[in-house]
Amino acid sequence: MRRDLPPLLYDSQAPARARGRLCRAGAAPGAARGERSAAGSRRRPGPARHGALDYPHVQIPFEITLWILLASLAKIGFHLYHKLPSIVPESCLLILVGLLLGGIIFGAEEKSPPVMNSDVFFLYLLPPIVLDAGYFMPTRLFFENFGTIFWYAVVGTLWNAIGIGISLYGICQISAFGLTDITLLQNLLFGSLISAVDPVAVLAVFENIHVNEQLYILVFGESLLNDAITVVLYNLFKSFCQMRTIKVIDIFAGIANFFIVGIGGVLIGILLGFVAAFTTRFTHKIRVIEPLFVFLYSYLSYITAEMFHLSGIMAITSCAMTMNKYVEENVSQKSYTTIKYFMKMLSSVSETLIFIFMGVSTVGKNHEWNWAFVSFTLLFCLIWRALGVFVLTQIINVFRTIPLTFKDQFIIAYGGLRGAICFSLVFLLPPAVFPRKKLFITAVIVVIFFTVFIQGITIRPLVEFLDVKRSNKKQPAVSEEIYNRFFDHVKTGIEDVCGHWGHNFWRDKFKKFDNKYLRRLLIRENQPKSSIVSLYKKLEIKHAIEMAESGMISKVPSSVSLSDYHEGKIKPLSPTEMENMREILTKNLYQIRHRTMSYNRHSLAADASEKQAKEILIRRRHSLRESLRKTNSLSRERPAAANTKRFLSLPKNTKLPEKLRVRNKTSSRVGDSSDSDLDAATTVLNLRPRAGKILREQRLRQQRPLPEFRVEWKNEVDGSQDGRGEQQDPSTLPQPSIGFRQPLLTRPRFGTLSREDLTADHGSARPMPPPRLVRQASQGDRQRNKPENQPY
Amino acid sequence: MMFCGTEDPFGQLGTAVLAVLPLSFLCTGRAWGAEKPLARHANLSLSFFSSSVSHSQITRLYSRFTSLDKGENGTLSREDFQRIPELAINPLGDRIINAFFPEGEDQVNFRGFMRTLAHFRPIEDNEKSKDQNGPEPLNSRSNKLHFAFRLYDLDKDDKISRDELLQVLRMMVGVNISDEQLGSIADRTIQEADQDGDSAISFAEFVKVLEKVDVEQKMSIRFLH
Repeated sequence: MRRDLPPLLYDSQAPARARGRLCRAGAAPGAARGERSAAGSRRRPGPARHGALDYPHVQIPFEITLWILLASLAKIGFHLYHKLPSIVPESCLLILVGLLLGGIIFGAEEKSPPVMNSDVFFLYLLPPIVLDAGYFMPTRLFFENFGTIFWYAVVGTLWNAIGIGISLYGICQISAFGLTDITLLQNLLFGSLISAVDPVAVLAVFENIHVNEQLYILVFGESLLNDAITVVLYNLFKSFCQMRTIKVIDIFAGIANFFIVGIGGVLIGILLGFVAAFTTRFTHKIRVIEPLFVFLYSYLSYITAEMFHLSGIMAITSCAMTMNKYVEENVSQKSYTTIKYFMKMLSSVSETLIFIFMGVSTVGKNHEWNWAFVSFTLLFCLIWRALGVFVLTQIINVFRTIPLTFKDQFIIAYGGLRGAICFSLVFLLPPAVFPRKKLFITAVIVVIFFTVFIQGITIRPLVEFLDVKRSNKKQPAVSEEIYNRFFDHVKTGIEDVCGHWGHNFWRDKFKKFDNKYLRRLLIRENQPKSSIVSLYKKLEIKHAIEMAESGMISKVPSSVSLSDYHEGKIKPLSPTEMENMREILTKNLYQIRHRTMSYNRHSLAADASEKQAKEILIRRRHSLRESLRKTNSLSRERPAAANTKRFLSLPKNTKLPEKLRVRNKTSSRVGDSSDSDLDAATTVLNLRPRAGKILREQRLRQQRPLPEFRVEWKNEVDGSQDGRGEQQDPSTLPQPSIGFRQPLLTRPRFGTLSREDLTADHGSARPMPPPRLVRQASQGDRQRNKPENQPY
Repeated sequence: MMFCGTEDPFGQLGTAVLAVLPLSFLCTGRAWGAEKPLARHANLSLSFFSSSVSHSQITRLYSRFTSLDKGENGTLSREDFQRIPELAINPLGDRIINAFFPEGEDQVNFRGFMRTLAHFRPIEDNEKSKDQNGPEPLNSRSNKLHFAFRLYDLDKDDKISRDELLQVLRMMVGVNISDEQLGSIADRTIQEADQDGDSAISFAEFVKVLEKVDVEQKMSIRFLH
C-alpha cells in the first residue's frame, strides 16, 4: 500500500494538482476531501465508525504536524548535551535529521522522497525567516553601515555570481568533462543562485568569539540584502534563458529592473509598516490580537510585493524595520513579548523545515554526479568569495571610519555558508530549460553540505586560533581583567555622555521629522518612550524582593573581613587559586553595554543583559533617586496640565520633576527632547516603597557620601526616621507623613496610569519624595513588611 | 518587450533616476557638512585642546551639551547626566558623572565639560614630539591614567586603598560573588601592584601595573579624533 504523501511535498511536476490542494494547509478539508474521493475513500453517510482509521481525512495537517514535531524534537535532543551547540551549528543537526528521514523513506519505498514545492517555500517558509531577521535588525547600526552593507550585498553578490558563472563556463568548455551542453547563461544562472549566502549559522558562533561589533551588522545586513538580490538575479537570468535573443538593451533593462524591484519592494514595505503602526495606535482595547496585526501586515507586504513582481523580501524587511519602532511603543508589554517570541518560533520552524527537506531530498535518485562540475563549483565558491571580500574590503575601507581588520575579513569570507535559499532556487529551475538540472542539484547540495558542516564547525576554532596568534601569551594577572573592564566601562560611559557617535546630518533630519510628524501620528498618546522605560516596566519588584531577601545585593563587607585584612599579611596565592579567581571574575564582571544585541535566530538574547541592567539599576537607584529628589524640591506647585503621565513603576503619588512636565510641547507627552531617551531616567528611580525599604542600600552611599550630597542624605535619614513610626500601618493611607507614604498599590497594568490616579489625595502642595530605603531598615521592618507586600 | 517578460508598471524614464539613488547611500555614515554656527561659545578658548580639533566636533559636542541641559542655564548638573539612560545602567555611572564636576561644585559649564572630555581624545603621533616644554596635553597617557586613578580614589589622598578598590569592584561585579571572594580578589589586585608595601596603590604603582595595557587606545573615543 503506497503511502500517500502530502501533496505539498510533491515535485513541481504536478503544480496544478499541488496548488489546488494547498490553498491553505489544512483549511480546506472540503476541497481536499472532494479530490480525494477519487482515491476511493468516500465518506459514507451514517454513524461514524469509531476506531476506524480515516487517515486521508486528516492527512495533510497530520503530516505537517508530524514534520514540525519531529524537527522540534530533534532540537531538544540536540541541546541535551550542552557542549554540542557551541561546536556544531544547529543547521548541521537539522540536515542530519533530514538525511536520516530521507534514508528511511527511501529505504521503505525505494523511490525518491518528496521534495519541496516552489510555492510552499516562497509563500510560506521564507517570509517568517526574513521577517524575523528584519524585525530584530538594529536599525541605527544598520543605517550607519548601510553603505558597506549595500556594497557587500550588491557588488559582492554580483561579483560572486558572475565570477562563478564565467569560470564554470570556462570549465564546461573543456570537453573532457562532458559538460559542453551547459550554456553561458545557464552557468550564470547557476552562479547567481549559488552565491546566496546564508550566514546565520555563523552568527550563532559570534556570541562566543570576541568580534568587532560592526561585524554583526555587516554579516547580518548582508545576508538580508543578499537574499533579495539573489532572487532578483535569478529571475533575471531565468527569463534571459527563456528568451530567444538578447539585445544589449535588455541587459541594461535588466539592471534597471533590478533597482526598481528592490526599491519598489522597499516602498511597499515602508508604506505598510506605517499603516501597521497607525493601526496599533488604536488597539488598546483589543490587546489580545495586537500581535496579529504585526504579522498580518508584514505578510501582506510580502505578498503584495510579490504580486507586483517586486521584491517581497525587501518589502517584508523594510516593513518590519519601520514597524518596529512605533509598534514597540504602542502595544502592551505582553503583546510585545508575544510578538517577539512568536516570530522567533515561526522562523525557527521554517528554517528547521527547510533544512530537513534538504536532508530528505539529498537521498534519492535526484542526482547526477559529475566530479568536475561539483568540485570546481565548490572551489570557485570559496575562491570567489574570499577574493570578493578581500577586494571589496580594500575599497570600502577607504570610506569607512572604522576599517575592517583582517580577522573581520576572514570571518566574513569564511562565514559565507550557503543555505536554504540556494537550495530552493535550484529546485525551482524549470527542467525544460535546464536539461542538466539534476547536475545542478547535486552540486548545490554538495556545496551546502560542505559549507554548513565543515565551515560551520571549523570557523570557531579558526577564529580563536587567529585571536590567540595575535595576542601575547603571557598569563594575565588577575587584576588585568579588572582594569580592562574598568577602562571599558569608563569609555562606554563617556561615549554615552558624548551622545551617539558619528554625527549624521540625514539621521538628525530624519529624527526631527520623525519627532514632529510621525510620532504624533503613529504613536498612541500617553506613552513612555524609551527602552530603558520598557526595561524598567519589566522590572518585577517581586524579583527584586527575592534578590534582596536572599541578601544578594550589595552586602556590606562585614567588619570581620576588614579586620582580617589588617591583621594578616596577604598570602601569596597558588596557581589554582589564581585560576579560580580569574574564572570567577570572567563570569561575574558586568558586561559592557553593547550597542547591538547579537542576533540569534534561535533565541532571544536579551535576558542576560537585562538582568545585569536590573541589578545595576537597583544598586544605583539611590543616587539616581537623590537627583530626582533634588529636582523635585526645586518646584512646588502642581501642574495644571490635563494629562500627566505617570509611569507604571512610580508609586501612586510621586511627583514627576516639574521640568519634565512643563516641557511638554505636545500636551500629552512627557519629555520631548530630540534625544528622546533623556527623560526616561526619571522612571528609573521609583521603586515601590516597600521594595525600597527592603533592598539594602548601596554601601557606597553610606560610607562615603560625596560632600555635595551630604546634606540631602542626612535629611533623608532624619525624615525617614520620623516617618518610620508610621510605616507599620499600611492602611493609614493618605496621611501626608513626612518620610514615608503607604500608597495603595493597585494591580499593575502594563501601560501608564493616568493622572486621575495621581490626584487621589494629597491636596497639600508639598510634593512627597519617593520613600527611600535607609540603611537602618531593620530585620523587624522587613518581616513586618513582607506579608503586606500584596501587590503582585 | 524590454523587461524580460515581466510586466513592468514603471516607465523606463524612472529607471535612470532610480539607478543613481543607491550610489548616494555609499556616503552614509560620514558627516555631511551642516556645520552649524557655534552659538555663544564662539570665542571660547579651548586651549586644552590642541588646534587639531575641528570646529565641527566642538559644534557637535556643544549641541550635545545643550540638549542635555534641561534647565537651559548653560550648565549641567548631576541630574542632567543621570538622565542619560545608558549611563544609568553603566556600573560606574556615578563615578563617571562625578568626574565631570570639579571639586565641591554642582554645576559644570561647557568648558568644564570639554575639559573632561579632552582626556579622551586619541593621542596623535605628531603631537608626541611637538610640544615638549609646554604643559602636557590633557590626553597624554599620564593624564589619562590620572583621570582613571581619580575615579578610584574618592578621598583624594593619592592612594587607592583596599576599601576604595572594594567599592569599585563591588560596582563592577554581579550579585553572585560573595564578599569574601571579592575581598580576596581585591587583596590579590593590591598585592600585584603594591611595591612599597603600604597595602595601597599609589599613582606610580598604578602606572606601573598598567604599563603593558594599551591605555591610549582604551581611553580614547574615536569621534573626538
